Amino acid sequence: MRRVAFLLFLLASLAALAPFGSALSRTVSAPSRASLDEVAEGLTCQCGCGLTVANCNHPMCSFSVPVREQIEKMLNSGLTKHQILEQFRAKYGEKVLSSPQPEGFNLLAWVMPFAAIFFGAAVILIVLARWRARPSKPIAEANESVQGYDVKLRYRLRREVERLG
Amino acid sequence: MVFIGSFALALALLLALYACGASLMGARRKMPALVESASHALWAMAGMVAIATGVLLNALFSSDFAIKYVAQHSSTTLPTFYKITALWGGQEGSLLLWTFLLAIFAAIVAWQNRDTGLELTPYALFTLAAVASFFLIMLNFVTPPFARAFPRPPEGGDLNPLLQNYWMAIHPPSLYTGYVSTTVPFAFAVAAMVSGRLDDAWIRRTRRWALFSWFFLTLGNLFGARWAYEVLGWGGYWAWDPVENAAFMPWLMMTAYLHSVMIQERKDMLKVWNLALIGLAFALTLFGTFITRSGVISSVHSFTQSGLGPYFSTFLGVVVVCYTALLLYRVKLLRSTAELESFLSREAAFLFNNLVLVGIAFAVFWGTVFPIISEAVRGVKITVGPPFFNEVNAPLALALLFLMGVGPLIAWRRASTRNLVANFSMPAVIGVAVGAAAAALGVLQWYVLSALSLAAFVAATVMLEFSRGVMARRRAVNEAAPRALVNLVAKNNRRYGGYIVHLGVAMAFVGIVASSFFKVEVKRSLAPNQTLDIGDYKLKYLGVSGDETFHMERLGARLELSRDGRSLGVLEPARVFYKRQQQPATQIALRTTPSADLYVVFAGLDPKSNLATFQVFLTPLVLWLWAGGFLMALGTVVAMWPDVREREAISRAWERRTLGWQAADTADFEGESF
Repeated sequence: MRRVAFLLFLLASLAALAPFGSALSRTVSAPSRASLDEVAEGLTCQCGCGLTVANCNHPMCSFSVPVREQIEKMLNSGLTKHQILEQFRAKYGEKVLSSPQPEGFNLLAWVMPFAAIFFGAAVILIVLARWRARPSKPIAEANESVQGYDVKLRYRLRREVERLG
Repeated sequence: MVFIGSFALALALLLALYACGASLMGARRKMPALVESASHALWAMAGMVAIATGVLLNALFSSDFAIKYVAQHSSTTLPTFYKITALWGGQEGSLLLWTFLLAIFAAIVAWQNRDTGLELTPYALFTLAAVASFFLIMLNFVTPPFARAFPRPPEGGDLNPLLQNYWMAIHPPSLYTGYVSTTVPFAFAVAAMVSGRLDDAWIRRTRRWALFSWFFLTLGNLFGARWAYEVLGWGGYWAWDPVENAAFMPWLMMTAYLHSVMIQERKDMLKVWNLALIGLAFALTLFGTFITRSGVISSVHSFTQSGLGPYFSTFLGVVVVCYTALLLYRVKLLRSTAELESFLSREAAFLFNNLVLVGIAFAVFWGTVFPIISEAVRGVKITVGPPFFNEVNAPLALALLFLMGVGPLIAWRRASTRNLVANFSMPAVIGVAVGAAAAALGVLQWYVLSALSLAAFVAATVMLEFSRGVMARRRAVNEAAPRALVNLVAKNNRRYGGYIVHLGVAMAFVGIVASSFFKVEVKRSLAPNQTLDIGDYKLKYLGVSGDETFHMERLGARLELSRDGRSLGVLEPARVFYKRQQQPATQIALRTTPSADLYVVFAGLDPKSNLATFQVFLTPLVLWLWAGGFLMALGTVVAMWPDVREREAISRAWERRTLGWQAADTADFEGESF
């Protein structure tokens, strides 16, 4: 019975991939996103829309429209993504980049989230090790049914006491 | 009417202040009558705030431009539906809505806990009344919603066009409901620490409130994403904007909290951690409001900037300092006698799940405030945008997905090899098989393959739990499978509701990954009868048509959609111009299928060349995100529903009440589900 259920679920999971696959067959075969978009994703539009140059869709946008044209020219002239972004940074300042460059003070932006997680993980491991070192109560078998039984027993006891009360 | 609204708000403030004093004094001097009068004051306060809200709504309905707020955010030509939503379209109105929800929740808490003694309730009422007092002070003295307009303008300025959308009618109220309802568990956490009753009573009393809050935060974020998808016209739904982040962080904290309270309830562990989490969740709701209203960080969603920033930052500071001081004061009493047998246990899995959730929240917070820090330290303005958030959060999301699959199946205390093999071999095989199948279909990005495998792994763990439960019931009580499934969920709704939520998260995650990695975009200018191809679709531009009302001008483009030579109808994206605000907006055309969304933006028409420009996106599996979100909401409703034993407890409590017995504390039964 379990094997049948397993096979059925496996088939259902693969069937669920069908729309994914059909979408992929369309999208993967379509031309991949131009590197223009990759560069434009690295720049923040300055029109106030809050989006990247790649995503700003204001048709007459005074920033993203000419910048896209400039990027295209720069790419055609053989400049790399890094060089193009550097040129825009020199012209508009750091705020034009859509994410902080990992250098100098800005390194903090990238390092802190992972540092915090590693620190948290270390604290958890130390705490768990301490808890593990404590003498444990003897329990016949530590699994969920035992826990469930505990709570059920507690509930039954409370009901009995209530009835007596 | 203006006088009635202002007077009701002034009276509400007095009542809130009285409730603060009466509840605190009643608790300290052990005077139940005083606490009862504080409850009554909170009920009256809710009534007063409701009257003020009603007056402002009436003014919006009747276009009473003598009120500055109405003059600024409504007009005679604004459709009636949006006159109602204009209530939260501006600073004063949205603050009034916030206060209204808080007042209603405070009144409900006062009613729910009217007979629960003097230990926790008075301090919880005090906290609720104190928070309400702050908001009422804002409404009475800083941003009064009933300020008069001199001279009275003949016509209003109208509602921001971006807010004239049906998703905006439900997004802010949902999000505010989620934000504001975190105040209830926060108030009981404060009460637990002040009173010294540090067992899990405060958790049991607020379990349903926490779920309620999470439910609305989920919907609020979901509706907000849908609004961005339909209104902003850039083909995406999430841009890691500061205001979006502000709504996302409390959701992450509440998710962590809902998982870690399970450990406290079962194992009496993590007391400090749970108190810290709920404090952080509440503080982040205030932080979100501060960001939205202060203008300290520029955001496309900040429709209500004002000078409220300093008040909110001060209040936030007071809350954080006082709460931290209380926590430190009680920390010795909160130490648990926890023990752990193995790192391979559900307790450890839940702790790491908490770490990742809080880690994501921290990464989002850090990215949101880093521009301010950079400007303060270096004097240089920088932007922290989507590439940063995507890169930092992408690996954390995978870790979270993995732990989501492990958590429900790994044994408490110690997982034996037998337990690991029995529970995880089948989901692991399914995960690997799905990953391999996706690779065979041409997916080569490691992140997408990992995400698909892990999502399948999570779905398989959930299905395994359901199938085991159903089989166990069939064996035990000989039920048919559908009936066994219904009874299984009905009798264990908290547990299986959680599993449904997990399934929703996995589904939404697949939608997010697919729509982020495989979006195709085509931008082209077309003359009439020219066509544009994207994927299997063909769009033929037929022409434009315009119409005009008092409120707006609309220029719509007609595009005939076909696939494989078969016509699928006509799409009509449009450009809209709102006359009063002199602002253009986009109306997208959308064709949604389970496999992909075709999203068409009419970017403009060049009158000289008669060329119409279109931006078209083909985005896979966007529907999975919305469906996953609603599955999460459905799972929360299942988990919130009173289970059989709670219903029995409630009916027994009512029986005793009618028999004249002393009132029963039904809250004792909260949170016990098997």
